[in-house]
Amino acid sequence: MSPRRTRTGGLIDRARTIRFTFDGESYTGHAGDTLASALLANGVSLAGRSFKYHRPRGVFSAGIDEPNVLVTLLREGVREPNIPATQIEIYDGLRAESQNRFPSLAWDLGAVNQLGGRLIGAGFYYKTFMGPVIGPLKGTRFWMMCEHFIRCAAGLGRADYEADPSRYERVNAFCDVLVVGGGIAGLMAAEAAAKAGKRVILAEQEPQTGGFARWSDETLDGKPAHQWVAELTERLTRFDTVRLLPRTAVWGYYDGNTLAALERVHDHVARTPKGHARQRHWTIRARDVVLATGALERPIVFPGNDRPGVMLAGATRRYATEFGVLPGNRTIFFTNNDSAYEAAVAIKRAGGHIAAIVDVRPRIGDAATALATEAGVVPLTGRAVAGTKGSRALSGALVQAFDAETGRLSGEARPLECDSLAVSGGWQPVLHLASQAGAKPVWDEDKQAFLPPEPAQRWTGAGAFLGKFSSADALASGRDAGLKCAGKRPSRARLPEIAPEALNPAPAPVLEIRGRGKAFVDFQHDVTADDVRLAHREGFVSVEHLKRYTTLGMATDQGKTSNVPGLAIMAAARGITIPEAGTTRFRPPYSPVAIGALAAERYGDLKPERFTPMHDWHVEHGAEMTPAGLWHRPLVYASAGETVEQAYIREAAAVRRSVGIVDVSTLGKIAVKGPDAATFLDRVYTNTFSTLKVGKARYGLMLREDGIAFDDGTTWRLGETDFLMTTTTANAGAVMQHLEYCLDVLWPDLRVHLTSVTDQWAGAAIAGPQARAVLERCVTGTKVDNETLPFMGIVHGQIDGALVMICRLSFSGERAYEVYCGAGHGQHVWEALMEAGEPFDITPYGMEALGALRIEKGHVTGAEIDGRTTARDLYLDWMLSKKKPFIGSGLMDRPALIDRNRLRLVGIVSLDGQKLGGGAHLVERGSSDEPGESIGHVTAYCYSPALQKYIGLALVRGGKARHGTRVLLSDPLRRRFGQVEVVSHHFFDPDGERMHG
Amino acid sequence: MLIDCPHCGPRDLAEFSYQGDATRTRPDPASTDTKAWLDYVYNRPNPAGLHREYWQHAGGCRAHLVVERDTLTHEIRSVAFARSADSGDAA
Amino acid sequence: MVERASPLGGGFRPGSHGDFADGNGVTISEVLKGSIVEANAWPGKEKALAESISATCRLTLPALPGNGAASREGTCAFNIGPGRFLVSGMDEALAGDIIAAIGDETGTVTDLSHGRTVLSIEGPRVEWVLAKLFALDFSLTAFPVHAGRATAHHDVFVQIQRRGEKRFEFYVFRSFARAFAKTLCRAAEDVGYTIR
Repeated sequence: MSPRRTRTGGLIDRARTIRFTFDGESYTGHAGDTLASALLANGVSLAGRSFKYHRPRGVFSAGIDEPNVLVTLLREGVREPNIPATQIEIYDGLRAESQNRFPSLAWDLGAVNQLGGRLIGAGFYYKTFMGPVIGPLKGTRFWMMCEHFIRCAAGLGRADYEADPSRYERVNAFCDVLVVGGGIAGLMAAEAAAKAGKRVILAEQEPQTGGFARWSDETLDGKPAHQWVAELTERLTRFDTVRLLPRTAVWGYYDGNTLAALERVHDHVARTPKGHARQRHWTIRARDVVLATGALERPIVFPGNDRPGVMLAGATRRYATEFGVLPGNRTIFFTNNDSAYEAAVAIKRAGGHIAAIVDVRPRIGDAATALATEAGVVPLTGRAVAGTKGSRALSGALVQAFDAETGRLSGEARPLECDSLAVSGGWQPVLHLASQAGAKPVWDEDKQAFLPPEPAQRWTGAGAFLGKFSSADALASGRDAGLKCAGKRPSRARLPEIAPEALNPAPAPVLEIRGRGKAFVDFQHDVTADDVRLAHREGFVSVEHLKRYTTLGMATDQGKTSNVPGLAIMAAARGITIPEAGTTRFRPPYSPVAIGALAAERYGDLKPERFTPMHDWHVEHGAEMTPAGLWHRPLVYASAGETVEQAYIREAAAVRRSVGIVDVSTLGKIAVKGPDAATFLDRVYTNTFSTLKVGKARYGLMLREDGIAFDDGTTWRLGETDFLMTTTTANAGAVMQHLEYCLDVLWPDLRVHLTSVTDQWAGAAIAGPQARAVLERCVTGTKVDNETLPFMGIVHGQIDGALVMICRLSFSGERAYEVYCGAGHGQHVWEALMEAGEPFDITPYGMEALGALRIEKGHVTGAEIDGRTTARDLYLDWMLSKKKPFIGSGLMDRPALIDRNRLRLVGIVSLDGQKLGGGAHLVERGSSDEPGESIGHVTAYCYSPALQKYIGLALVRGGKARHGTRVLLSDPLRRRFGQVEVVSHHFFDPDGERMHG
Repeated sequence: MLIDCPHCGPRDLAEFSYQGDATRTRPDPASTDTKAWLDYVYNRPNPAGLHREYWQHAGGCRAHLVVERDTLTHEIRSVAFARSADSGDAA
Repeated sequence: MVERASPLGGGFRPGSHGDFADGNGVTISEVLKGSIVEANAWPGKEKALAESISATCRLTLPALPGNGAASREGTCAFNIGPGRFLVSGMDEALAGDIIAAIGDETGTVTDLSHGRTVLSIEGPRVEWVLAKLFALDFSLTAFPVHAGRATAHHDVFVQIQRRGEKRFEFYVFRSFARAFAKTLCRAAEDVGYTIR
């Protein structure tokens, strides 16, 4: 028998015993236990160490608000840190570890930080390490040296270095009504909306619906509340239009009534079934939202309030009633309101002993008095707990006379023995989502709590969220909220009778007892009441500054227990009221979300990828594939033992010598059709397309509106009103979007349609002196001789039964043809071309050889059209029509864009026989250690098989004017410094005889 | 955020791409007034409050829309096809 | 004619996959359409274009946003944007017929028979699987049979037509088809799926 488990009672399944380990020790619990309840049942009171001071900590709450006992779960080969023990359902084989302790929880070296407690106050790290320190270890450098040690000493759990193998998924949902919170109010709202025919989603962060009803002693129409709730839940499951999401925390409320939720689908079982997600991220778009998020209990801040054994009063009630676990052998209650009296009765009924009820109020009402009598004690009114005793566990409380008006303690501190101290500072509605949705909470002096604001989005509140803390109010407001979302008026139909009658839990306005010793406001970040006052003294008085200076409320629990006490202390320090101090706006997430759940399938092998029709052929034939945007393209087809460089040199040389073939299917292709297509092209290209004859192609250049070069490519006129535009692979999407903008916004009167046909066509470029001979061997239905198919000509024919379109154009400077066919025929045609090229030893080539060939020829690509260069910088002035305006013509002649000293395109040749490097800078003087000022940079480089040298393209100040001069290449990252000669970028066949021949 | 596309209905922000200020006017294409071009390309008022802007429903029907959005609250007042919007920079 | 190769590759293996504890959740298959075209009307000619398509394809295509139709022979058409329709059929000659039927004064037609890959997904859990990929309401009231939607999954444009209460056809860019099919299959693992 566990030391603190009651003999009977609770909603746990006592017939099922579950074994788990905590810090290597074996324990047992029952089905229905959380890790927290099971640890408490086993008498484990010390279960964590605090963030900064390494103080011993125990379970403080029973729900999502737990600040203290965060553990690391070891599961399916992964360490998952910082999970509140109150949120973990135990299963057989569960392994959990405590955090932030070394070497063990009981004997922690870091606890020496406590001794220096006065030194490590708010802003300590900033002041000590970031500020100006005299001497060699100035400012940030000193911080960088110390940071390592500080990071080791402070903090929460340790993340894993291994990749998370868990599976996550994202789901989209649409509904008429999203109900957040499955307590009585939420369930009533869901039923009312469902009965009115609405599509409803109900999300409950706990495994079971019911909320407070699971641990209250109430009855509804004579039925125990938890049973009544179970029946209502069961009725809801019968609606086809209702989706119940247990274990689902709604953590974000975004614009347009879009809400984010995290479902912990399989965290409560030992193993996630294959093919299923461990956690599921929900994006819910709801027409209406019901916020029935309940309320959380606040602690009272007093010295020693973090000792293991101090717990929220409502939590003790829940452990006793729902889990059959007593908080201790002798429990003292400390409260500023009546709800603690109900908790005391619950503990008494479960078999516990109440040592005292300490109440800050000078007098209490009859209802509370009656409950105290039932709990077997006379309340100590007008008194407060001013301190606690014990080290790793609570052994007693110091009780002193207290004046709630002045907030002063007086008289002798009387020690009372106890091993459990249950605290209640009143209840705060959970307003996080309402605040995220864009409105400021409103302070209610009576209830001493922030209440929800007027909605800024389509939501309706219900239950304790509204500051209505009774179950009767929850029933009524829940039903009305559901009806309102269904467009109906409030109902007067009978609601279940609730017994016993509810108390008024309005508290006395006391949230802090000022005495000696550390009094914690934010347990998780170790922020004390004195830290808040220090922030005030140092001028960080606005709540937003307070939060950032002390980190109050910035821990993983987002200040669920610390928010209101922290504000109250700051308000008191400033001598203003709590509403005058104001609140910070809550930000998502309400509770922590694993990054994996947000990334879901966007991570790993499911990222979008594009494959050309010939992809499988490339892979089968030894191509090393390389990513080009989302595409995969062959880099080289290396033979055994060949390096990448050897392979591309061989491939490029084969093109110059005989013939090569390269997959160009990735080029962007846009069908431009309509009676105004030619006019349109004249406006978007710098050169003229309206004069292009049908059956011919032309190289075109586009600028941006600011006069900078945008993209280049060839456009083919297939018919009078039918053009096929090609773009660079990388810019296909951007060009399409640009053209669509032009048509939709600039010239809606033009009759032009655009369709992306990139994927319709497979493209293979055949290049080299024997290219024509290859085509002659396989093309039928057309001639391909110089007369029928001159440079920039287009013909239609067939290759091995497949329709093809052939355009004679060249990127390599060789006689070359681009053969296009339907993508589904791509590999078929490719293989036919390979076969036809066999007598010429046709060589497939990849991106590297393609790059080498274009560098030799001086063709520009994205490396030179880099968003900074103009047409003139690239010596493409000849393409700028003077006869018509075009996009970019308005600004391209600005003085700075036509300056002679701009970086302009040149070729460079390595003079020391060593490789060049992309991104290397060019300088006129200096040494490798102290290079002179940059006059430009290398954009592309290769070994040129044609020139037998390392060559490159570069953008250099002055461009052409430097031809024939020598400059220095400075590439410190690659430890390279050497001489290069600046030459024309047309390295090879500058007159184009090979290309036109 | 949701944008109520006049063709597709309300769709998630992720489907749209921002295409800039919809209050600017493109100069006559042949204009050599550099200042007018600079205003068109670079100068933006960046108002705090209601703003007319282009969004393309790139992950949907591809239409460009004129969206009236409050830059302080993200509230969207109106959405219309750019083609039929009454003002803008038709040139 | 030369047979068209599927872009889906060896990873798209016929058979049963995933968790079959509750039976087969969905069936996924490639639909080898002979013709796929995009027809695009000039402003004001949307109705004329829809009528031409209707006549050529023997179906009744309303010229309204998101609407669609299917003929008894399985020819389908649906709206994918203002004045834009995607039309498909099993017959390879259909593309040519539509191109011939729609005059220059009505609009333009672009052949996409090779450029789009059509995947069909059907079964009792189809809406669940699709909800993982798309921010669209797949309920029958929001997305009726024959209706069409243009949307995107990450960077992948997808055009969707509902072909039955529990059946959808997806038109994806051919180059993305392999990656998309993989994502679709992965999303269906928890409900069990069959590739046919």
